[in-house]
Amino acid sequence: MIRLDRVTYSYPDQPMPALSDFSVAFEPGELVLVVGPSGSGKSTLLRSLNGLVPHFYGGRWAGRAEVFGRDPVKLAPRGMADLVGFVFQDPEAQFVVDTVEDELAFAMENFALPETTMRKRVEEVLDQLTIAHLRNRRISTLSGGEKQRVAIASVLALQPEVLVLDEPTSQLDPQAAEEVLVALRHLNEDLGLTIILSEHRLERVVQYADRVLYLPSLGAPPVLGSAREVAAILPLVPPLIDLGRRLGWHPLPLTIKEGRTHARKLAGRLAGSENRQNGSPSPSNGGQPPIVAVRGLHFGYEGHQALRGINLEVRPGEFVAVMGRNGSGKSTLLRLIVGLLKPQQGQVTVGGLDTRRADLGELIRMVGYVPQDPGSLLFNDTLAAELAFTRRGHGLTADPEGSSALLQRLGLESVAARDPRDLSGGERQRAALAAILVANPDVILLDEPTRGLDYAQKHALAELLLGLKREGRAIVMATHDVELAASCADRVVLLAEGQVVVDGPARAVMSNSQVFASQINKLFRDPRYLVVDDVLRALARGTNAARSEE
Amino acid sequence: MQSDDTFHPVVWTTWLAAAALPALTTRNPLYLILVLLAAAVDFSALGRRSPVARSWRALVRLGALVWLITIPFTALTAHYGTLVLFWLPAAWPVIGGPITGEALIYGIVSGLSLMTLLLVFAVFNVAVDQARLLRMAPGFVYQAGIVSAIAVAFVPQMVASWQEIREVQQVRGHRVRSIRDLLPLIMPLLVTALERAMQLAESMEARGFGGHASPTDATVQAADQLALLGGLAALGVGAAGSGFWPQQQLLNALLVGAGALALIWSFWDQGRRVKRSRYRRWAWGRSDRVVMAASLVAVLIWVIAWLGHGEWLFFYPYPPYSPWPAFQPVAGLAIMLLAIPGLLLRPAKEALR
Repeated sequence: MIRLDRVTYSYPDQPMPALSDFSVAFEPGELVLVVGPSGSGKSTLLRSLNGLVPHFYGGRWAGRAEVFGRDPVKLAPRGMADLVGFVFQDPEAQFVVDTVEDELAFAMENFALPETTMRKRVEEVLDQLTIAHLRNRRISTLSGGEKQRVAIASVLALQPEVLVLDEPTSQLDPQAAEEVLVALRHLNEDLGLTIILSEHRLERVVQYADRVLYLPSLGAPPVLGSAREVAAILPLVPPLIDLGRRLGWHPLPLTIKEGRTHARKLAGRLAGSENRQNGSPSPSNGGQPPIVAVRGLHFGYEGHQALRGINLEVRPGEFVAVMGRNGSGKSTLLRLIVGLLKPQQGQVTVGGLDTRRADLGELIRMVGYVPQDPGSLLFNDTLAAELAFTRRGHGLTADPEGSSALLQRLGLESVAARDPRDLSGGERQRAALAAILVANPDVILLDEPTRGLDYAQKHALAELLLGLKREGRAIVMATHDVELAASCADRVVLLAEGQVVVDGPARAVMSNSQVFASQINKLFRDPRYLVVDDVLRALARGTNAARSEE
Repeated sequence: MQSDDTFHPVVWTTWLAAAALPALTTRNPLYLILVLLAAAVDFSALGRRSPVARSWRALVRLGALVWLITIPFTALTAHYGTLVLFWLPAAWPVIGGPITGEALIYGIVSGLSLMTLLLVFAVFNVAVDQARLLRMAPGFVYQAGIVSAIAVAFVPQMVASWQEIREVQQVRGHRVRSIRDLLPLIMPLLVTALERAMQLAESMEARGFGGHASPTDATVQAADQLALLGGLAALGVGAAGSGFWPQQQLLNALLVGAGALALIWSFWDQGRRVKRSRYRRWAWGRSDRVVMAASLVAVLIWVIAWLGHGEWLFFYPYPPYSPWPAFQPVAGLAIMLLAIPGLLLRPAKEALR
């Protein structure tokens, strides 16, 4: 039994409590998914289960916590480690030693377990997480999904009753996330482990959850119920549930399989042969010369060929999503376009300039590059200073009006005087975007812009990017996020092993693929339906057509 | 990964002692060449198994290059000895005068010992995972070991984020022209490193690190603290004393010794109370024992030779001595034992392919 009873907790120097008069209870053996917008207290709740809150963070704590008869507040994290295993969001930053097997033994060494027990348990967890083949590997050589499985194994070695995971898949690509979730479900079903995890991407996890706890932003009471009950009341949900709610499907589908039965009944009412692209009709600007042209591009790092003969053209006003597995060369391609790397073979031209010959200073006047981690960009004391810094770097004069107009457009005007490092995840992402956009580039490159963003933030980002596209800017976005690509890209370029496998209209590429199909597309298996709006529009037309026939 | 198919870290540490001892105690080129050859055998056997070897190979090459460059430098500037090879006009500054065979030999030999040491350490570093070696350290330095292990793992991450930050700021039009321009690079680096360190600390805490100390009473704790402070003070005064009052050698030495002892005792006593166990993955195989025994024998013979028969090892090419070194077969054989790891590793290497 896990119980929080009337808990109120504030972080040090924070006026508002992160949890306020909060009570909840979980049953042993259940898999609970914790959802809610950023800043709703998910991480705080999870950390209070093993005493990291309040012991590691300090702050003011009131109320009672109880986990399987133990009091985390009294025992502190070290006293809870053999009862509650905790896995963190970032697979990079939670490892102490450098090889897998030693990492698995670390927690047991701290508990002074005898050597024979340690050996036995290391073998057990290696099998439970199916990572036996990795046992001698260095952690730095593992993929993200493998790292997260090692992290889970390393806390399981103490044989805890509860596994708590704070957004364990938010930094992973879809395949790696699947690996981790399958492993978790197995642990929950076969070992009866109680699992409590938070996650932004509901579509990945919701079908595995016994119950879902929804934390609205602060003040409103939390809701705990079955996945279906909670899915019905969440403000922002994945496309499948969204469609189900709008069309009043009952029971509300949580998986594609459940949704298909409803979709089949709908098939007759859907009409319309119109084959539209998202937003504006597909490149009406075909006549324009491409602003980015990549021809026969080869690039290799030491002993590893990252790109092998890439051809790509992007025209002004076009939105291209570059997709593919981790290590397929997406980031390398972006860095070659912005001129950080020079082609070893072939040619990259941006606005007519050959990146091999042109000065980086000239190139960046045309191309803006938003890195994966906004933290590597932001360093000034205020956001306004951050924008001024970029303008200076580009040799442009300061433009306070233009800058504040930009901030307003990004919804950041209220935090212009704040320290960018204190902003929330979504705000930081937008701040980084603002720091790039202030130089007014014609081409915008984004590397995984939605990592760790919640639905509302992702939605806002998509709107913003579509607005930029309508202004005639070219956007190239490397992403794993199928739904984001489905809702805003005109074209999808699929990379594998450093080569372009497919390059075509988003609708054609995404409906032809197993892995890169959007939820709605999987539901109908029809290239006409990629996002919720496609279905609703077709439905409206179908109804109209039926009416006019009468 | 590589350390799993070589020998026990303790074996390698003994080997390091056996190999570094000759390199440090003699300038006799015959022994040095033998050490170099033995180490080269080991290095080539290890090199094919480990990705770390590549960077060390580059370093060894660089060392050899530096050595080759310094040889003519010594030969041209010493002008001392009896084996005159040729004369340069005396009017030429510095290099003018007789160029002697002794100076040439001296140039070769002085670089040789450095080269040998470099290769010996290259072998050790490729063979042994330092992080794991640190974790095998005795209990009372365990904390220091884990801190070093973390630091070792941290460096590559920092290099990677430095690289990324530099690129990102470059694309924003940032150019480094003066010290002040480093701020946009250093700030994000520090913040990233700090965030990472906090996450790591949290992760270690959540896995019970540093936890289960047996309860102690206040006096024992006070004694530990006192020993720590007193030890540090004695160490500091002793070290300063050897600079300021060189005539008081004995007193200074006593102070340093007592300080070190007090510190070690304090760490040991504190570490003793933290209950933890060790996950030992190293079994002593037959070849481990062979290499261990060979290394021990090599150390033993060498220590006897060094302390008892200094003349076996002595070498100085300039008069009144001979430019031709002495050679004692027993000492030479002792050194040849150092090649055993390389010879034992060969079959495994073939199997690996």
